[in-house]
Amino acid sequence: MEEKEITVNIKKYNDKDGAFWKSYKLKADKYTQMTEVLRRIKSEQDPSLAYRASCHMAVCGSCSMKINGIPSLACRTIALQAVNEKNEINVESMDYYPGVRDLITDIDGFYDKIYKVMPRLIADESVLMGENEQRMTPEDQTEVWKFQECIYCGLCVSACPSVKEDEKFLGPAAHAKGFRFIDDVRDTKKQERIELLMDSAYRCTSCYMCYEVCPQDVQPVIAIKKTKNYLDQYKGDTPVTVMARKHDDTIVNLIETTGKIKESTLFLKTFGFGEAMRDAVDMLKTGKFKYAFEKDSKVKNMSEIKNMMGEKK
Amino acid sequence: MEKKEYDAVILGGGLAGLMAANIVAAAGFSVAVVSKVFPTRSHSAAAEGGIAAYIMGNSDPNDDPDFMSYDEVKGGDYLVDQDAAELLSKKSGDIVNLLDAWGAPFNRQPDGRIALRYFGGQTYPRTRFIADKTGMALLHTLFEHSTGFKNIEYYNEYYVLDIVKEGNNVNGLVAMEMKTLNPIYLKSRALLIASGGIGMMYKHTTNSYINTGDGQGIALRSGVALKDPEFVQFHPTGLYPSDILISEAARAEGAILKNNKGERFMAKYAPHKFDLAPRDIVSRSMTIEIREGRGFEGGYLGLDLRHLGKKYIIERLALAYDAAKNFSGVDASEEMIPVRPAQHYFMGGIDVDTTGTNHDLNGVFSAGESACVSVHGANRLGSNSLLETVVYGRETGNTMVEFLKSHKNVETNSNVDPIVDAAYAYIKRETGEHFGVLTEELRDIMWDNVGIFRDNDKLAEAVSKIKDLRVRARSMYVTDKTSNYNTELFNALETRNMLDVAYTMATAALNRTETRGAHFRDDYPTRDDQNWMKHTLTYLAGDEIKISYKPVTYTRWKPEARVY
Amino acid sequence: MKVAYYPGCASHGIAKDVDIATQMIAKDLDLELMEVDDWNCCGGGFMDDKNEAVHASLNLRNLEKVEKMGYNKMATPCSVCLNSHKIAADKYENDPVLKEDVDERLKEANMEEYDNGVESEHFIWVLIRDVGIDNIRKHVKRPLTGLKVGTYYGCQLLRPSNVMGFESAFNPHSVMDLVAATGATPVAFPMKTACCGFPLMGSNPTVALKMANNILSSARNEGSEILVHPCSLCHLQLDVTQDKIQRQFKQDWRLPAVYITQLIGLSFGYTPKQLGMSKGSIEYLKSRGIS
Repeated sequence: MEEKEITVNIKKYNDKDGAFWKSYKLKADKYTQMTEVLRRIKSEQDPSLAYRASCHMAVCGSCSMKINGIPSLACRTIALQAVNEKNEINVESMDYYPGVRDLITDIDGFYDKIYKVMPRLIADESVLMGENEQRMTPEDQTEVWKFQECIYCGLCVSACPSVKEDEKFLGPAAHAKGFRFIDDVRDTKKQERIELLMDSAYRCTSCYMCYEVCPQDVQPVIAIKKTKNYLDQYKGDTPVTVMARKHDDTIVNLIETTGKIKESTLFLKTFGFGEAMRDAVDMLKTGKFKYAFEKDSKVKNMSEIKNMMGEKK
Repeated sequence: MEKKEYDAVILGGGLAGLMAANIVAAAGFSVAVVSKVFPTRSHSAAAEGGIAAYIMGNSDPNDDPDFMSYDEVKGGDYLVDQDAAELLSKKSGDIVNLLDAWGAPFNRQPDGRIALRYFGGQTYPRTRFIADKTGMALLHTLFEHSTGFKNIEYYNEYYVLDIVKEGNNVNGLVAMEMKTLNPIYLKSRALLIASGGIGMMYKHTTNSYINTGDGQGIALRSGVALKDPEFVQFHPTGLYPSDILISEAARAEGAILKNNKGERFMAKYAPHKFDLAPRDIVSRSMTIEIREGRGFEGGYLGLDLRHLGKKYIIERLALAYDAAKNFSGVDASEEMIPVRPAQHYFMGGIDVDTTGTNHDLNGVFSAGESACVSVHGANRLGSNSLLETVVYGRETGNTMVEFLKSHKNVETNSNVDPIVDAAYAYIKRETGEHFGVLTEELRDIMWDNVGIFRDNDKLAEAVSKIKDLRVRARSMYVTDKTSNYNTELFNALETRNMLDVAYTMATAALNRTETRGAHFRDDYPTRDDQNWMKHTLTYLAGDEIKISYKPVTYTRWKPEARVY
Repeated sequence: MKVAYYPGCASHGIAKDVDIATQMIAKDLDLELMEVDDWNCCGGGFMDDKNEAVHASLNLRNLEKVEKMGYNKMATPCSVCLNSHKIAADKYENDPVLKEDVDERLKEANMEEYDNGVESEHFIWVLIRDVGIDNIRKHVKRPLTGLKVGTYYGCQLLRPSNVMGFESAFNPHSVMDLVAATGATPVAFPMKTACCGFPLMGSNPTVALKMANNILSSARNEGSEILVHPCSLCHLQLDVTQDKIQRQFKQDWRLPAVYITQLIGLSFGYTPKQLGMSKGSIEYLKSRGIS
């Protein structure tokens, strides 16, 4: 099989020397996975190279790292597809997590967030006693499975901007896990789960980074959005959810009545009169105040909008 | 040295270990689960196709547990302990229902009941599945269930060094925190070894990088026997060239193996079961096809899914489709998937009875791939490894609960310093043999000489070479002298374990002068029930392997010719 | 060339200058922007949090209007509107359960099943693919030589890339190419694809402003004099809201943030004022001799 020489630049790290880059040259063919590249570097050139790897088929989630700056699983990355025009590949540990050694990071914080969402099914007592059988439609199974496919790789959290700035945000993986149980007809703790997740859900900025980097296509941001669908059933009351309610209610109301959103109304209702006035002063300063009263005609055929927004199912 | 005491220590966070952990913890005992990886990274996650189960009221109307047991006995070429197989079949439905109650999202039938499909060697369809990531889904289910217990403590990324013995009783184990190389003595009166398989000692394997026979290695060194270590399964459809598993589910869903002439060659070797004959038969047939020049250049055959249609393939065989695409650049809906056999499963293992108890050392239990209960005999059927992990994980968990009730922890603290010193010696040594060289040599020997086709010369050569490697391994050293997640040290320790286990495997294979299941001898090509209807027991005694035998348990099925 | 045009609520509101500048350069480039008949809010980022089927229906209504107008492409200057329409169409195509619900809603509103006949595109995709960078360069009357422009992409223009489909989510270059066409010097910065925080303004504004500040700081640290972005809502967050950010982080600097068509408009010879820019941007550009 045709082989090509490649250069792999690895950002190494240890407690004594700190971080430094080291380059390795080796040959790869069109099938060579990055896990195999690392194994061969370790076995043939640098036995001290530290990284995690287990299944090499993208189900165990061990080999998470940044390859050419992109949060990736090494096993899912084919070396010759990842090289640049100079046949080079750059490999670093994941962002966000504390470094331990070379490509190994400490992701205990990631696990801790998952544990917080009660990540286990609590079935009805009669089922556990074997008196009742659980049924589930194939459609329901498909949806649960989608969010259950998370492999704990940690890539989504390493790339999430909200996790970095907001310690109260549980992060994408924990939300996917949490929602997977909300969504499971066999579970008996739906309300508790809604209470656990809602405040955090409104700390997600919907930037789709988790969706982008997830090697299993779990789409955690979609799980978060689906969790927010339950806001009406949420009984808790935190500053975040209180504001979210005002904000969302205003939007829905604006769309229901005009088919469009008017930010000036939205600011007023969401932030209250005081804050909205401050915004108005800012806008006066920037010269944008005039736009706040920009009149856009509302949707003419409002019956279409109203009919589409009606309760279904 | 740090010391902690538990009622039970469980080595391995895969399906068998976690099932037992859940059972033991539910009975109120304290449990430590020790694993060199976070539990969801265990190799159980890589099991794809499914779990076989006869569920009352949700199975083929003609099926019953006896048919299932019979399939196992015949599939295992009559080296199966029939009481063990019967227990496995009888409890299969119950365990699947339990997994369902704990949250496993099994694929469903339109009426909401758990769906099922055919797998190799089954008289009736029995395989329950979660897409083609069944192992992963079940592993997550058990792990997540265990997070509800406060009395289970996880030692993730701790590497086991050796078992601690006090007289003929277990007194825990010594492990090392991988991040710091700090040793810890985990004292307990019960030890479950559920550490999985040995695949990394083969050049071509579908196994995870972590499958290095650690549990079997420490067992051998503390005087515990490995049973039937000559029996190694080679899976027919390893993806070429990466050896990633293409699940048997593919053939179960209708995929066909073809040679370079486009022939469905399995018709010749298994005229009734074709591509769904047991794995040993299909792997041998494939090897013959390749040997006789009917493979494709590079040495592989084609797995044809094209007639199934893209939509169906993606729906039912997502992982196989993705693997072929990502790792071999093949769109399985348009081209055949390139496949060749690769090491897949170790039928042999720590000798235990149907309660999961080992009788060489008090307090040692084993379950899952690291154990040999003898439900698989000389060849395991597809969908039975997952079943074994959970059924025998639970049986063993229950046995441990009874054991814990009637036994107290050994009072004395054993001297565990020599265990730690032996590990540190690799770091302290400045020159010697490097693990990388030894491992690569071992992987070649095992693949070439203790592989799909075996004979006296190959096996004798393997034994002598492995003996030599074991001598060289004594002067193993690691170049990395830091105590900062020193993976090189752990690779060296893994090599030590692989060599000890490989030694028993090659020796037992040389010793068994017959062909049975996955153990195929070119020089003894037929089954010899007269002399060899018995289990091999191997003990490591210093530098020698001691072999003894144990009868096979029969209940109702007499050996007959194995035709598919 | 005629193209269906979906301005979105923000650019007909406080981000009006996004619409003004876009219309101006479109005219110069012989792009006739045909405003979508009786369009409605896409509900991007909010309505799908309430009800996915309502969200999808609202977006498909717009796309059906475009189809009725006889076009197969809808351009929008807003990344969130773009993302909203593309995600809605994608879910409708791939989620049979959702489709059923949506079809019922469309029927209630006397509309047909949607046949995925319209592609939603960002206005800058039209600029790059249909107008062409060379063509844009030909219209440059005042090359912005020497102006260091931080090129910001944000999130929803790029992600999820399997749905958005125009360029790499990690190594995008569309904004950079357009900035280069104006003669200015594009400045890449580490946080060029991070989120500006706008979607959090309605629930967690403290963190939202922190995110915005991260973007501005990152661009400034790499030497940007101004920041250019491709989204009406980024515009609200990075331009209109900068005073708030200054207050929260007690900062004494501003980084003017302008919409991409505003920058192109400058190079076409329009004044910052004509392009509707905010006072801070006008002042800064004046200091650089651009007015």
